[in-house]
Amino acid sequence: MAVTLTQGILIAIFAIIAGIDFWLEGFYIFRPMIVCTVTGFLLGDLKLGIIAGGLTELAFAGLTPVGGTQPPNPIMAGIMTVVIAHTTGHSPATAIGLSLPFSILMQYIILFCYSIFSVFTKKADEYVAKGEFRKFGMIVLLPTVLVALLYSAFSFLSVYGAQNLMKTLVNSMPTWLSHGFTIAGGILPAVGFGLLLKSMLKVKYVPYLLLGFTAACFIKFGNLMPVAIIGASLAWIEYGREKKEQEVNKKFKNMEKSLENVGGEEDGI
Amino acid sequence: MESEKKARNKLSRRDITKLGLLSLFNQSGMNYQRMQADGWTFAMIPSLKKVYGDDKKGLIEAVKSNLQFINTNNYAAPLLMGLEASLEENGEERSTIDGLRVALFGPIAGIGDAITWYTILPIVAGVTASFAKQGSILGPLVFFIVYLAMFLARIPIAHLGYSAGTKAISKIHENSAIVAHAASVLGCTVIGGLIATYVQIDVVTKIQVTSSHTISIQKEFFDNIFPNILPLGYTFLLYWLLKKKNVNPVTLIILTFLLSILFSWMGVL
Repeated sequence: MAVTLTQGILIAIFAIIAGIDFWLEGFYIFRPMIVCTVTGFLLGDLKLGIIAGGLTELAFAGLTPVGGTQPPNPIMAGIMTVVIAHTTGHSPATAIGLSLPFSILMQYIILFCYSIFSVFTKKADEYVAKGEFRKFGMIVLLPTVLVALLYSAFSFLSVYGAQNLMKTLVNSMPTWLSHGFTIAGGILPAVGFGLLLKSMLKVKYVPYLLLGFTAACFIKFGNLMPVAIIGASLAWIEYGREKKEQEVNKKFKNMEKSLENVGGEEDGI
Repeated sequence: MESEKKARNKLSRRDITKLGLLSLFNQSGMNYQRMQADGWTFAMIPSLKKVYGDDKKGLIEAVKSNLQFINTNNYAAPLLMGLEASLEENGEERSTIDGLRVALFGPIAGIGDAITWYTILPIVAGVTASFAKQGSILGPLVFFIVYLAMFLARIPIAHLGYSAGTKAISKIHENSAIVAHAASVLGCTVIGGLIATYVQIDVVTKIQVTSSHTISIQKEFFDNIFPNILPLGYTFLLYWLLKKKNVNPVTLIILTFLLSILFSWMGVL
């Protein structure tokens, strides 16, 4: 099914809202879970949006903007996964892969913005020096407005402008290629989890990883709640243990100090 | 010492609540030169205005000193903003205030990231995605509610920073290692579960033993060693490449696609 002009405009408006939200990291409506659901709703296929949301959210679980880095853009990935699945009839898992070029392109646009927005700092300093705080506020909010405009233009062109091209391209793919994309959609979360592990895994945490892995392999339950509870219990145990250790260490240090003091006095005598 | 502290206007509870909400704009002027500095200052200005009252010169100095490189976690920002507001109100030395802000934004960003991006997000994403994959609206709905609550938590976090003062901050600092440790335990357990549940690699190759009997490599071989052993292995491979070889995540995403397509073409996956 094709995307109508009205739907294209509505999606672009939503992209502005989600784009501002991602820029500020405010309400997390920029995460694929919400973006896919809303895009699905706007295209009249809510269920497709929700299912795509679950898949894409996990593929992006580790791709987080921590410490001012930029991951492949979650908004464009969410929007294009649903749009491609909707217009070409492919499964959401295949569509995730096809949405990737849009997502990476937007990532680079935002990275470019980070560099270019440094030019505003000089003007901001000048306004503060003169005590013109209203003008300072405007120049601080200007980057947010510019980012919003970029999102509206990029999403509208991708969703509405490029749809025929996308459709022909996707429909002329041989089965082994589209099946390859489906497989990649299933493996992609591994990249996200690898990234999460890169920032948190230390040797001492490997046992917990294996415990969680084994628990999930053998507990047949609809969601991950049991594993989360096991993890929370382990964290609780560890918190208590570390806390105790810290107190014991403190006591030892105090004792050492008082012993040293005693020794020092004796030397003095 | 007492004579150096100047009398300043007091902030009301409403001012701190407003500060918590304004912390939303922490990233509005994001740029590579000084990261969140401009947005951070924008959020601080109303509080500073009230504290300094008629002292325009003092206000300009205070605002200026906020315009320095800062990059912290967005949920930790209101904590630090509340603390800074209380210090300004007490008329502490400029150098004390600036020193504390610079010393604290890094450590509290670390613990903030460990809790928000590496613990809460994987758990919320993992649990809600399992609903969403079945097409249930519960998935995106729960996701949205959790992050709405997270946004509102900025208000009590700002109050905490304001009322805690330096003493409590040093306590948080002292405990931050233990909290981060417990959060990592929980996070790693859940990621172990996520790997088992969401990374899908199924080998479809079958070996013909006799004319009527075939052996499925997945069922008779990999599944008999350990279920989901391939997803675990591939995630560890990616982790190793990210951590030890410093490979760019986007390269790994593309590599995953190429391998998927190759194995799909060969009929292995």
